[in-house]
Amino acid sequence: MSSVNEAEFVDAISASHSESIESATILRSKRVSVVVKLEAILEVAEALRDEYGFKTPSAAGGVDYNREDRMQMIYYLFNPDSKITLTYRVDLPRDDPSLPTLTGIWEAMSFHEREAHEMFGIEFEGHSNMIPLLITPDWRGGYPLRKDFKGEAPAE
Amino acid sequence: MSEPTITPDIMRISWGPQHPMSGQTRILLDLDGEKIHKITADLGFTHRGMEKILENRTFLKGIIPIERMAMIDTPNIGIGYVMATEEVLGIEVPERANWIRSLVCEMSRISSHLYAFGLQVEATGFFPAVFLWTTADRVLLLDLLEELTGARFSYNFFLPGGVMKDLPEGFEDRVIEIVHYLRRRFKDYWTAMIENVLFEIRCNDVGILTPENAIRLGACGPVVRGSGQPIDVRRDEPYAAYADLDFDVITEPACDSMARTKVRFREIGESLKMMEQIANEIPGGPIRTRFPLFTRSKPGEAYSRVETARGEMGIHMFTNVGMNPYRVKINSPSLRHMYIFERLCELDRMTMADVPVVVNSLDVWYLDADR
Amino acid sequence: MNYVVDFLTLNAKPLLQIYVLPGLAFVLVFSIVAVWFERKFLARAMLRVGPYYCGGRSGVLQLIADFLKLFMKEIIVPEDMNFLFFASMPVLIATLPALTIILIPFDANWVLWNIGGLGLPMFFAIAGIAPLIPVFAGWASNNKYSFIGAFRVAYMYISAEIPLVLCGAAVAIMAGSFNLVKIVQAQQNMWFAVPQFIGFVIFFLGVIIESERAPFDIPVAEVELVLGWRTEYSGILFGFTMMAEYVMFQAWTLLFVTLYLGGYNGPVIFGSVMLSHIIWMLVKFSVVVVLIILIRCIFPRLRLDQTLELGWKYLTPLAVLNLVFVLALKLWGVY
Repeated sequence: MSSVNEAEFVDAISASHSESIESATILRSKRVSVVVKLEAILEVAEALRDEYGFKTPSAAGGVDYNREDRMQMIYYLFNPDSKITLTYRVDLPRDDPSLPTLTGIWEAMSFHEREAHEMFGIEFEGHSNMIPLLITPDWRGGYPLRKDFKGEAPAE
Repeated sequence: MSEPTITPDIMRISWGPQHPMSGQTRILLDLDGEKIHKITADLGFTHRGMEKILENRTFLKGIIPIERMAMIDTPNIGIGYVMATEEVLGIEVPERANWIRSLVCEMSRISSHLYAFGLQVEATGFFPAVFLWTTADRVLLLDLLEELTGARFSYNFFLPGGVMKDLPEGFEDRVIEIVHYLRRRFKDYWTAMIENVLFEIRCNDVGILTPENAIRLGACGPVVRGSGQPIDVRRDEPYAAYADLDFDVITEPACDSMARTKVRFREIGESLKMMEQIANEIPGGPIRTRFPLFTRSKPGEAYSRVETARGEMGIHMFTNVGMNPYRVKINSPSLRHMYIFERLCELDRMTMADVPVVVNSLDVWYLDADR
Repeated sequence: MNYVVDFLTLNAKPLLQIYVLPGLAFVLVFSIVAVWFERKFLARAMLRVGPYYCGGRSGVLQLIADFLKLFMKEIIVPEDMNFLFFASMPVLIATLPALTIILIPFDANWVLWNIGGLGLPMFFAIAGIAPLIPVFAGWASNNKYSFIGAFRVAYMYISAEIPLVLCGAAVAIMAGSFNLVKIVQAQQNMWFAVPQFIGFVIFFLGVIIESERAPFDIPVAEVELVLGWRTEYSGILFGFTMMAEYVMFQAWTLLFVTLYLGGYNGPVIFGSVMLSHIIWMLVKFSVVVVLIILIRCIFPRLRLDQTLELGWKYLTPLAVLNLVFVLALKLWGVY
């Protein structure tokens, strides 16, 4: 179902994937947020793309909640028919953030996952080309966008 | 960067940072004769860590670095940040401020499209004549904007809550004069370049991006409109004064570089129409609501999408209790289009001479992609 | 002393021909004037002023200033380079086309080298060596951009030479001789451009392709290749490569004027036949040069495969058609 509005979508996805989704909320008009459990991330992603029409990958990025000892990886998806933007979120443990890659489902997430890896240290299992996107090749280590980043690792 | 390996019959050229036309990036082209076998983009030459910078600036101070993110189209980026701030802090914007915002955004969009069009024509090998003509026309717009905001490129004109200054005396008349002049020039450019036989030969059927691929690979802005899809943030979720303005969303059915260039070019016409409407019908009223210099925020988030000249930009702002945003995620259109550029050599046969044509038709601005 | 004076007066005409016209002075002065004119003209088309400071507002001395500057710059020699080839190629490419200019008649009695009447094939023979030189230069530069530029040059020249030679053959058939002077004399009533209109157009395009000028300057496409085969040259070698473009341009344009536009034919002015012939030749030559410079302003550049397509798919069959047409005219005794 492609042209749906936000409320219908939230109801439909909460009904059909209720055990995989932690929450599905409407933030405001044309913005929906779905927080999914880590185990079911691929299956719900496929459903989002095929059944609910979120075909366009906009971007992906992470947020570091260091006080709560978690990181959240957010994928921004767009439905070109109903023009709804979905933030597809998954919570990850901060000491070992790792999740399966979504490039199998939305190919263009490749660049964004590379950036999230180099900026936060999030591992994406199964990504075919995990080399740094923006950081220089002679980077001595450290994940810049983490909250406890103090600077590049010192020169040996 | 660890570069992928190549076989001996492939020649790897670094369309690299020292190059007359590459822009601020390095693109590795693997060539098999003249045909391009693979493209690997090496971004990050202008990475300034904008997202980290914004975490260390207050909401008001953050407007300054973020406008410098992509120097060619600054108001459209600034308005994204300012709208996200307003949404998260719950600030209302008066109507006149919205109309002035749209005016500045449209003027900047025209100037960016003129620049991009000039670069596209230069990329096809036309000794930079048309590029200099478009630069000369941009100067008129930049002079108008300097009169209004005090700066030619990066205006920092939008505040959370409105705009900084009101329109000066007689500004609307000058805007209408420029609109009439640019409309005449528009016709000249159309006949001189878009209907130029050799320009058509170079740009037609080059870099074809079918509508399915455009949607699947995340195209936005003029790229997806050049593949026939009417996706435009100004129409889908109107912000500033776009709900009250009358404009068409320009699409072109042919999915090649020429279509994208034409979309950008005809959008200049639509922007001129909007400028004229704004100059004629702008309502009166206050131009900003009070925004205290040091504002403490509550926990929340807001995602604002705006239509920059290059495509759709998203600013996702997370706030905690404090004077700085907790995290600002910037979704830039050029990064999405760089991925499409990498895949285009597989989707459609490209020779080395097509590389500048395609890159400029996708209008990738590396400052934008690297943030 | 007497010997020197005798030598000069006896050989006055050949000496004048070698050093002034169509020799050294003509080639150099034309290069300077053409580059100046092109820079000013293109600048006006681009809303600029062009050279403005050297030599008064018109900037005529700018070229001389540029050449002097290039003489004084260091020639940067990259590693792993075959310096003999590298340094000799620009010199060759600047001077080889000048050899062909000495074949062109400026008057029935003002031809430097008439080779017993085989001017036309000799021109094509010498000009045919010209494509080899950028290929050597590109290879010797040890640089990928140069290499790509070099093989683009090779492809492009091959596709252009064949139609040109066929058109030249058609002209020779119509005039009944290979002698350039006789070809010009055969055009006294009507320029060959009129009956051989197809050949005229093909040769015109061929001139632009052979000179590597826009819209066919794909080997030197700055937007992709920095400067193609000229990338690694610096200092005076770079100056030679820039001059080379203009020398080739002159050579082919002079041949074009000779073959199709009636050469030095024209009404007698100033009472002197030789002088008026020379003046008419220069006038026609200047008109064609200005036209080709104008074309650079207007058109973008064609891709390599599009240029090759033009050369092989369109120019070569049309040149054959032209040849057949001329043969038919000859058989039916029209000419």
